[in-house]
Amino acid sequence: MMAQQGSRLRLSQSDLVSTLTSTLVLIFACLVSFAPCGGQDIAGQSPVATFEKSIRPFIVKYCINCHGPTMQKASLRLDTLDGDLQNGNMADTWQEVLDLINLGEMPPKDFSRQPSSQERRAAVTSLTTEFRRVLETQRSTAGRNIIRRLTTYEYNNTLRDLLQLDLRFSTDLPPEGAASEGFKNNSSVLGMSALHLEYFERIARSALSRILLVPEEKPPSYVVRIEPELAYKQIAESQRAIKTQATYNLRPLVAGKAKHKGLFKLVYGELLEDATGIVLAGNRPIDPVNTPFSADRKIGGSLGDGRSGYQPEFIAELYEIPPNSPVRVTIRAAARPGKGHSLPRLSFELGSFRGNGVSDQKEAANFELQSEEFQNYEFIVHGANFPFQSNKPSRPSYLRIFNEFRRGTSDLAYEDLPKLMIDWVEIESNYYPEWPTAQNKAILIETPSIGDELEYVRDVLRQFMKRAYRRPVSDHEVERKAILYEKLRPAHESFEDALVSTLTAVLCSSHFLLIAEPASQPITADTIAPPRDLNDYELATRLSYFLWSSMPDAKLFKLADQKLLRDPQVLQEQVHRMLKDPRAEAFSKNFTSQWLDLDGIRRLAVNPEYFVFEEKTKDLFEKESIQFLHHVLTNNLSLDNFIHSDFVVLNHKLAKHYRIPGISGGFEVRTLGSEHHRGGFLTQASILFGNSTGSETHPIRRGMWVLERMLDNPPPPPPPNVPELTVAVVPEEEGLSLKQRLVAHTNVQSCRDCHSKIDPWGLAFENYNALGQWREGNIDPNVKPPHQQVSVDPSTKLQDGHQIQNLHELKRYLLTDKKEEYRRAVVRKMMSYALGRYLDFRDRPAIDSICMALSTNDDKIHLLIERIVLSEPFLSK
Amino acid sequence: MALPWLECMSWGSDLKPPRNRFFAGFFAYGVPMPLDDASDRLRNGWFPVGTGKNYVAPAMHESIMPLRDKITFLSGLSHPSMRSTSAHKGADYFLTGADILKTYDKQTISIDQHVARSIGQDTRFESMVLSSFGGVNRPYRSSTLSFDRAGRPIPALNNPAEIFRRMFGVTTDTERNALASRGSVIDEILGEARDLNLRLGANDQRKMDEYLNSVRELEKMTARAVEWQSTPKSKVDAQHLDLSLNVTSPREYLTVMYDLMALAFQTDTTRVASFQTACEEGGLTDRFPSALGLANSSHKLSHEKKDYDDVAKYLSFLNEMHANFIHKLDSIQEGDSTLLDNTLCFYGCATSKTHQATNYPIILSGGKNMGFAHGSHLNYSDEIPLSNLFVTISNQVGGPTESFADSTADISEVLG
Repeated sequence: MMAQQGSRLRLSQSDLVSTLTSTLVLIFACLVSFAPCGGQDIAGQSPVATFEKSIRPFIVKYCINCHGPTMQKASLRLDTLDGDLQNGNMADTWQEVLDLINLGEMPPKDFSRQPSSQERRAAVTSLTTEFRRVLETQRSTAGRNIIRRLTTYEYNNTLRDLLQLDLRFSTDLPPEGAASEGFKNNSSVLGMSALHLEYFERIARSALSRILLVPEEKPPSYVVRIEPELAYKQIAESQRAIKTQATYNLRPLVAGKAKHKGLFKLVYGELLEDATGIVLAGNRPIDPVNTPFSADRKIGGSLGDGRSGYQPEFIAELYEIPPNSPVRVTIRAAARPGKGHSLPRLSFELGSFRGNGVSDQKEAANFELQSEEFQNYEFIVHGANFPFQSNKPSRPSYLRIFNEFRRGTSDLAYEDLPKLMIDWVEIESNYYPEWPTAQNKAILIETPSIGDELEYVRDVLRQFMKRAYRRPVSDHEVERKAILYEKLRPAHESFEDALVSTLTAVLCSSHFLLIAEPASQPITADTIAPPRDLNDYELATRLSYFLWSSMPDAKLFKLADQKLLRDPQVLQEQVHRMLKDPRAEAFSKNFTSQWLDLDGIRRLAVNPEYFVFEEKTKDLFEKESIQFLHHVLTNNLSLDNFIHSDFVVLNHKLAKHYRIPGISGGFEVRTLGSEHHRGGFLTQASILFGNSTGSETHPIRRGMWVLERMLDNPPPPPPPNVPELTVAVVPEEEGLSLKQRLVAHTNVQSCRDCHSKIDPWGLAFENYNALGQWREGNIDPNVKPPHQQVSVDPSTKLQDGHQIQNLHELKRYLLTDKKEEYRRAVVRKMMSYALGRYLDFRDRPAIDSICMALSTNDDKIHLLIERIVLSEPFLSK
Repeated sequence: MALPWLECMSWGSDLKPPRNRFFAGFFAYGVPMPLDDASDRLRNGWFPVGTGKNYVAPAMHESIMPLRDKITFLSGLSHPSMRSTSAHKGADYFLTGADILKTYDKQTISIDQHVARSIGQDTRFESMVLSSFGGVNRPYRSSTLSFDRAGRPIPALNNPAEIFRRMFGVTTDTERNALASRGSVIDEILGEARDLNLRLGANDQRKMDEYLNSVRELEKMTARAVEWQSTPKSKVDAQHLDLSLNVTSPREYLTVMYDLMALAFQTDTTRVASFQTACEEGGLTDRFPSALGLANSSHKLSHEKKDYDDVAKYLSFLNEMHANFIHKLDSIQEGDSTLLDNTLCFYGCATSKTHQATNYPIILSGGKNMGFAHGSHLNYSDEIPLSNLFVTISNQVGGPTESFADSTADISEVLG
C-alpha cells in the first residue's frame, strides 16, 4: 500500500515551489475564506516565536544544506522563507515541507544527517499545531455572531409557528451543507441567492394564500365512519377460523353523504365478543386453533421483521377525498393488556395507491394504548403532509391501522398478546373546527379600525410584522408596508389578495429571513464594532433558535416586551420551560444529527452480499440516537450517558436487529443486562454503521469519529496523495487479520504518527460488525456466507500506552482519563451549535467556566444548556 | 428512454441566425493514467494515445467516437493558481479559474455565466445550473459549477420534477398574479433594506450585501419572467420523462438530467447550461458506481493505482451518459445543421491522476457554426492556463473578451 507513495517523490525532485500540494492548507483555506477578521493570536503567544523555536532548528539541521544559501534544490530556499504562517505568503510552501517531512521523503535517505523519529515527530507536531492555530484564527469571526440566514429546517419551523400551519414548506429549497465542524447553522454555509429568494417568495405566497384566500362559507366536510363488525359479519361463518379477511363496501356505512365511495378491509382481525367491534393483535397465527404460533414461525419468517404469523390490519380505502385539507381521524379504541401487563401499540398510516401494486404511505401516529375502557382518540393531520391523495380518481387513498406490539423474539402465545380493540373509526376531511380558521383569524385580527381599510391593514401589519421580525417594528416600518399595500390594492380583486402580496414582502424581508444583530453605534467599514449586550428580543431569538430551531413564542415575546429576559433567574426559568415544550424535540433532532454526523447513515449503502437488510431500518438507527439524547435531555441526566448508559432506547425492530430477545413495542427506555453490550452512543448502530464500509468494520473511520465528535481533537488530514486506507484485503495482505493489516500500515513511519493516534480507538469497536451487531470469536453469524469468517480482537493499545481490552474498557477510559477532554468537547460542540458560528480563543474563558461548573455538578445536561445561555458569548454580540 | 422531440420546433430557414448554446459539464475525481507502455493503456486510460488527427482513443470513449469529427480531446491544460491545491475542490474553480487557494474572496465569475451574460438574454432563462447533489454545499466542496459576477455560488437544481416545472410547467393563474405583484414586493424589500441603514461590521455587511444582491438578481429574473409571460412555455410531453428519479438510480437519473438540458436547448428555453454530475463530498453521488455493480465508491475508485479495470468501467459509464447527450444534440436538426453544431460542449474534470490538479481531461464538442473544428487530440504543455480556452470560448460563443481569469492568450487550435 505504501509503495504507492513513491509517486510523491517526483514532487520533491521537480520544481517544488510551483507544484506545491497542500492538505492542511485545504482545511484552513476552507475556512479562511468565509470570515476574514482581525488576526489576533490564539493563545497569547506569538506563532512566529513558536515557529522559530520549535521548527526552525530542525530546518537548519536537516534542510539548509540543500535548500539554503549555497544550494537551492528544486528552487527552494528555506532559510529565508517567511516563518509567519498566518500573515506571510509562504504557508503553502511550509505545508509542502511538512508533508514531505511527514512522509519521510525529506531529508532524502542518502543525506548524511538523518533525524531520529522523535525529532521528526516533534517537528511535524509543532508545524501541525501551528497550522491548526492559523486555521482557527483565520476562520474566526472575532468571537462574534455573523448575520445568518435561517437554515431550511429553521425556516420551515418558523413558518409553521408564525402561521400556525404545520406543512412541509421547505422541500423545494436547495439542499444545505454543513460547516467543517458539522453544524448546518453556521453562517459560513448559509448563503443567499436569487434562487433561494424566489423560493422563499413562492412558499410564503402559497402559504398565505392557503390561509387568507378562502371562501366565505366553510367547505363541506367529508365524513366516513366505519363500523368494522358490519364488515366482519359478511364473512361466512365457516370461513372465519381460517380466513378472516373481509372486504366490505363502505357505502352503507357512510355517516355523511351517501355518495362517498369506499371499501373496508379487515385482515386477520377477530370479532369482539359482544360483536360491537374488532380485535387486532400484533401477530396472528393463520389458524390459531389448529396451527398455533410455534408451527407457523416459518410462515412468519418470510413476512419480515418482528412478525410471526400474519399482521392483522384494519384498512379503509377511500375515494374522492378532498385534496390538501386538514383531516381528523377519530379512533374509538381500548386496550386489552397481555401477559405481564403488556399494552397494545396503535399505529396508523395514511397513504394512497399509485398503481401497479405500488402504494405510498406515512405513519400519522404511533402510541401505546393504556385505557381498558373504550375512548375516542382524535388526530388532526394535514393531508398535504401525507401521500393521502391518489394520483388518479380510480385509485383510492387509504387509512391503515394495526397493533404494533409484536411478539418479537418472545414466545408469547396468541392469547397472551396485548390486543387492540376498535369500536369504530371516523375520518373527516376538510376538517375546519372553526370558520374562518384560527390561522385566518390570527392574521386578520379584530381591531377597532376594522371599518377603515388602510388603518386596519396597518394594525394587521404591526401585529404580523412583530412576530415575523421577532422584534417590535417602528411606525415607519409599518408605514412602508402599508404604502406597498396601497400600491398593490388597485390591481388586486380583494383586500385579502393585496394583503397576501404585502405579507409576502414581509416574509421575504431580510428581517425575517436573516438573524441579524446590528451594532449599537455607527461603525466604519474597517473598524470592528465593540462588543455589546444583546437586547431582549435578540436574546429571545437566539434562545428559541437554539432550543427549538424556531421563532420565539408569545411568552418569550412578552418577557422581552417587559425587558425581563436578561435577568439570569428569568432566563433559567425559560430554559426549563422551553426544554419541556415539544418544540425542544427539534434540539434533540438537529443537534444530535449534526453533532454525531448521523447523515453518515444515508451516505452508506449496506452491501447486500453481506447482510439481509431492510433499508427502512436506517430510520430506526437515526431515531435511536435522537431519542436517546432526547431522553437524557428531558430527564436531565449526565453527559456521561453519551459515552455509556445503563439504559437504551429501543423498539422491537431495533432489538431484533441487535439480537436482543424479549423486547416488544415501540421506542421506549429499557434496561438491559451487561451481556448485551449496549449503552451510550458508542454502541448505537447509527455510529457503528455510519463509520463502517457497509460490508465490514472500518476502525479508522470509527477512531476518527471518536476523535472528532467525542474528543473534538481531530488528527490532521493525511498528506496529499496518500491513498485512503482501505480495509479491503489486497493480494499481498491475504491471510492477515484486520489488525495485522492496520499494524502493517502503522509500521510505515510516515503513517504511523497519525494512525497510532487514530486506529487504536477504532479497534476497540471490533466486537460490533458493520451494522453494529455484536460478534466475537471467529464467526459472525449475522453476516451471510461466505463472509462469516472473522477474527474479532478488540484489544488495543492507545497512543499513551494505555491497554484496552474492549469497548467497555475504552468507555471507562474515556470517562476517567479522558473525562476532561470529553467534557470540553461536548461543551464546545453544543456552544458552537448554540451560537451558529465557529468558536475561537475569545470563547475560552466561558468554556472553561462551564466545564468547571459541570465537573462539580455531575455533568448534568440542563446545567450545560443553562450555562451556555448565561455565558458571555451567548448574551452578547 | 424516448424523448418527445419537438418536430414543430425545428427552426426554419427563414428567420433568425443560428443560436449559440453553451454546455459545461464536470465529472468528479479525475481519471486513471496507466503508463504509456502499460498493457492496459488503451483499455483503461482516459487520455488518447498520440496527438493530432491520428490519435487512438482508449476503449472507454467508444460511445462518443462515432462523432470523432465533431469532438476534440484536450490534455495538459489546468488552472495555474490551483495547481498546488489539494484534492476535491475541483468544482469550485473548474469554470472560474480563480485563485481561491487561500481565500474564497477571490472567487470570480464562471465561464458559463460569463457567456450567459451575452447569449442568455433572449431566452426565458438566462442559464440553467444543475448538479446531482443540488444546492451549493460548502466552499471547497462545491456542488455547483456556476458562480455569478461577484463570485458567489449559484445554487444548482437537482430534482428533475422541479426543473421540469420551472422550464415547462404550465403557468397557473396564481403564478401569473404573483408575478404581477412581485415587482412591487421586490422594490419594497430593496427599499426597506437601504432605508434601514443597519450599522454593520464588515462580516455582517458582507452577508447583507449577499442578500441585497440576491434581491437585485431576483428583480432581473422577475423582469424577464414578466417579459416572457405572454409567450407560452414550450409544450413538452413529459410522459416519456420519469421525473420522479433521483440519484439512487444513476443511469436513469443522469439520463433524465441530460435530456432536460437537451430539451431546454431544443426549445430555446435557455442557451446555457452547467451540470456537475457528482460532488467530491461523499454522499449518494459518490455511490454512482453501484449502477454498474461496482463495489467501491467513486472516490475509492479514483485512488486505485494498479488495477484500473473498475474505475475504467465507471468512467466508460460517465462517458456514455455524456456521449448520449452529444449524440442527442446531433440528432436534432436546426436548419441545415444540427443542434450540436450550434452548441459548444465543454466537458471534463479538474484533476487528472488521483488528486493531481494538472493536466485536466477535457472533451470539447460541437459548435461548428461558431467556428470550432474538431477531430484531433491536442496536447498542451503544463504551463498553459485552461482559461486561455475560456477566452476562445467567449470570443466564439458569446461575451468577447481579451482575457478570462488568469489567461495569457487564447487557444486558436480548436478553431477551423
